[in-house]
Amino acid sequence: MEILSLLGGGFAVALSPLNLTLLLFGCFIGTLIGAMPGLGPVNGVAILIPLTFALGLDPTSSLILLSAVYYGCMYGGRISSILLNIPGDEPAVMTTLDGYPMTLQGKASDALAISGFASFVGATLATVGLTLFAPLLARAAIYFGPADYFALYIMAFATIGGLSGVDPRKTLLSALIGLMIATVGLDPSTGIPRFTFGSFHLFDGVDAIVALVGLFAISEILLMLEKRIVEDKDGLRVAVRMPNLRLVFQTMWTTLRSSVIGW
Amino acid sequence: VSNRLVAAVIFLVAAAYFYTARDYTATFGDVLGPSAFPKLIAVPTMILSGLIVAFPGGGVSWPEKHRMLRQVAALLVLLGYALLLKPLGFPLATGLLIALMAWLMGGPVGSSILLGALSAPALYILFDRVLGLPLDMLGTWFAAS
Repeated sequence: MEILSLLGGGFAVALSPLNLTLLLFGCFIGTLIGAMPGLGPVNGVAILIPLTFALGLDPTSSLILLSAVYYGCMYGGRISSILLNIPGDEPAVMTTLDGYPMTLQGKASDALAISGFASFVGATLATVGLTLFAPLLARAAIYFGPADYFALYIMAFATIGGLSGVDPRKTLLSALIGLMIATVGLDPSTGIPRFTFGSFHLFDGVDAIVALVGLFAISEILLMLEKRIVEDKDGLRVAVRMPNLRLVFQTMWTTLRSSVIGW
Repeated sequence: VSNRLVAAVIFLVAAAYFYTARDYTATFGDVLGPSAFPKLIAVPTMILSGLIVAFPGGGVSWPEKHRMLRQVAALLVLLGYALLLKPLGFPLATGLLIALMAWLMGGPVGSSILLGALSAPALYILFDRVLGLPLDMLGTWFAAS
């Protein structure tokens, strides 16, 4: 019950007009920043920290603004994933897999709506879950050591093998090439530089977001050059219309299921 | 044939990777040392790419010749951008990149140049002034003189 009364106090603060305005403003700016490829939630929050000082806000309002920016960026990242097949940031990489094909079918607004709705449900469930179970989770997280992380990654790679399309060998090969790229830079446990060829720029390793945006964006450019020059000159039709709400409800069970898994 | 060729290149890269990784040693800390993990990755990479060289499955459909020429040109433009960014400075290099890419994607010459000329300064203002990411206005070729 203590949690509930504290939550009530929190809602009272959050619903004051100033904080609500900041929330809307933060979401708007965050969505804009998130939609730019390469600028994710972390960069967005970092860019706007000076702004909270400049506006002279009290700590609570500043935190509300920054978390709104964070959520806005998270959503903005998938706009470019869905419309352009270029992930705006790391969490949006998976959105390109389903979202972009829907845009190609002319269902971009549906994809954006489903994604927005699913994020809302997922984030809300996760927040509620975290509020209720945080003490329990914290106790378990202490025991999550290197060996457990290793097991988790092995499971992830096994899943990649199962996800594969035509030839599982190629899927595994690309996963291994990714690991090879990841070993460039200083070895985290001994500090020995690996595969840097004497270049100081490589000591930090290859940034994952740079590699991902490069791979997705350049391959998309090459695909564009290969196919679309003649086939559809007027580009993709992105109809501005109300999204199909029925479709959103059809995906509700998937949304709920994924919320639990993701959490 | 293309599958085999790519797999052979990957095999050679993995072999070179293994060879380079052998020499990394640390006299302290981890028992395994810094060269164990790269070796651990290189061996299955070599096995898998070797398997594809031996038993290539599926074909590859190459694009038509003039399309492929455009793709190669796009890659060269991107590479040139990376190399010329410092000598030319951000606005000039970016303007050239945008104009050339727009032209390669089938835009008319005039509007491609216009697009590059307009959007490069806009990007410069956005990154340098608004987002506070310092960029070179003039490259090393112009600033030195």
